[in-house]
Amino acid sequence: MDRRTFLRYGCSCGLGLACAGTGFAATTTESGWQVPGRFTRPEISSDEGGLWALMDRQEKRMRRSPFAIRDAALREYVQGIACRLAGEHCPDIRVYLVHTAMFNASMAPNGMMEVWSGLLLRVENEAQLAAVLGHEIGHYLERHSLERLRDVKSRSAVAQVLGLFGGVGAVGQLALLAGMVGYSRDQERAADAIGSQLMSNAGYDAREAAKIWSNLLLELKARPEDDPAKSSPLFAGHPAPEERMETLARLGALAPGGSVGEQALREHVRPYRLEWLIDDVKRAQYEESLALFGRMLAHDARQADVLFARGEARRLRAKDEDLDAAIADYTLAAGIGGEPPETHRGLGMILRNRKMWTEARASFRRYLEVAPRAPDAEMVKSYIEEMGT
Amino acid sequence: MSKWMGLFLAVLLAGCASVEKVDSGARAVGARLIFELDGAWNQVNLPGDGTAKVWTMEGLPIDRLLVYSGVKDGDEIAANPPGGNAGPARKSLRFRKGMQSDELVSLFETMLTRDGSIFKLERLAPSSFGGSRGFRFEYSLIRKSDSARLSGLGYGTVDRGELFAMLYVAPRLTFFPRHRQRVERMASSARLKAG
Repeated sequence: MDRRTFLRYGCSCGLGLACAGTGFAATTTESGWQVPGRFTRPEISSDEGGLWALMDRQEKRMRRSPFAIRDAALREYVQGIACRLAGEHCPDIRVYLVHTAMFNASMAPNGMMEVWSGLLLRVENEAQLAAVLGHEIGHYLERHSLERLRDVKSRSAVAQVLGLFGGVGAVGQLALLAGMVGYSRDQERAADAIGSQLMSNAGYDAREAAKIWSNLLLELKARPEDDPAKSSPLFAGHPAPEERMETLARLGALAPGGSVGEQALREHVRPYRLEWLIDDVKRAQYEESLALFGRMLAHDARQADVLFARGEARRLRAKDEDLDAAIADYTLAAGIGGEPPETHRGLGMILRNRKMWTEARASFRRYLEVAPRAPDAEMVKSYIEEMGT
Repeated sequence: MSKWMGLFLAVLLAGCASVEKVDSGARAVGARLIFELDGAWNQVNLPGDGTAKVWTMEGLPIDRLLVYSGVKDGDEIAANPPGGNAGPARKSLRFRKGMQSDELVSLFETMLTRDGSIFKLERLAPSSFGGSRGFRFEYSLIRKSDSARLSGLGYGTVDRGELFAMLYVAPRLTFFPRHRQRVERMASSARLKAG
């Protein structure tokens, strides 16, 4: 497992006890859980210092990474949510948005937070995004990654050999091992509870947290062949999804009310949504994509971009009645307006396969009208020529 | 030494992979596809590469040629994406004989991006391959594992319900320009036997 995968499983650090006497007061929440004061950078010679140094190097790479989404307005929006949740820890948290089609967020002990585009596509409102960020901040505030590292170190005979080399190298190896182990279920439960508390403190409706997991579970259960609790890294190391949803629902019910922020999220992700929908289709996990798109359309049936994406997923899966359903999706998208140009290409491809030449030519011509410089324009022209006039 | 070169060597030394030289001259891949090679390649046999033959000139961490020959309806397209990290287990990607050129390119795109890499189609146009009507495409890839920027070139055709294709990818600077013409000549030389 490389460093990136280590981060993918989340990484956090808290230094509550060590901050005693630094002048930063801990904050007591309504539930009695104390938010630790701000952390100070640990000594480089310590295991924690080594972990921070490792994450600092990872953060340097992230700043240069072509996978980073460099939209300042979107980044500031998500950073703003993280800051509201983190309170006085806000200055220590840096949010990076990453172009990756899967649902994930993670936080490193040095304050670096990654939020993947697959997550931004899936959350229905700002409160749900806050739930995930709050969970990761919970790991950070409780220093769960350092606990994990020390646990691996204490159990591992290898640590005794690595200890001979000292410093960051040895910590790096142990960090990788710790990443493979993942957070414990108790740590995950704690992060859920803290996240819920942080949401309420920041004025969000904490009842939204449970919905994220129920939505994700629906997506994964759409796969006919396996048990998401066993196959998905989102669930494999966590408490059972049903337990998690019940716990989050119970926690949310303790402090009902608060903002949901659907419009704000929608406005900020709007410029990217089509790209992320297409990314999801390209994963070729069509059952999951169809569950996601179905959920989005149940909320608002007149979203031409989502109808197009569902049409694409159906066309590419091409099972049973998929192609008829895809035609319906493409046609509806075109009827609503604002449809992506590829809507007409997708329709044309199905009609061409069915030897409906006149209709296929019309669709392809429409595609070329609205996207004359498409990278496959020559190919589509050849389809038109093959089908005659 | 880059970590991928190290990994490649480790896999080789562990006996999980084997390398054979593919000499110049007429070379058959499968029962029906023949190339006229104007230089040697190395064929690498890796576990999990499935349907494709995997060739390289500079070593797999740097460049990679995937050759598909006689892939039948329902067969899996299963090669690890450049960099070798296929990520968690993924649904099989299968060729269907009714696939059109756009859909075949989309299939290859999905295969190449299973590890989170980013693919961008630069051009897709009709082209002959193996003497059969097919397609040619150019693409760019940002490899997830190390953020390397790669350029790619592919050819394909479906003949008698079977897929024949080749995809070449290498770093955008130096290696892709260095080998591009040779790959194009190889594609031009391809012919399909009646079978």
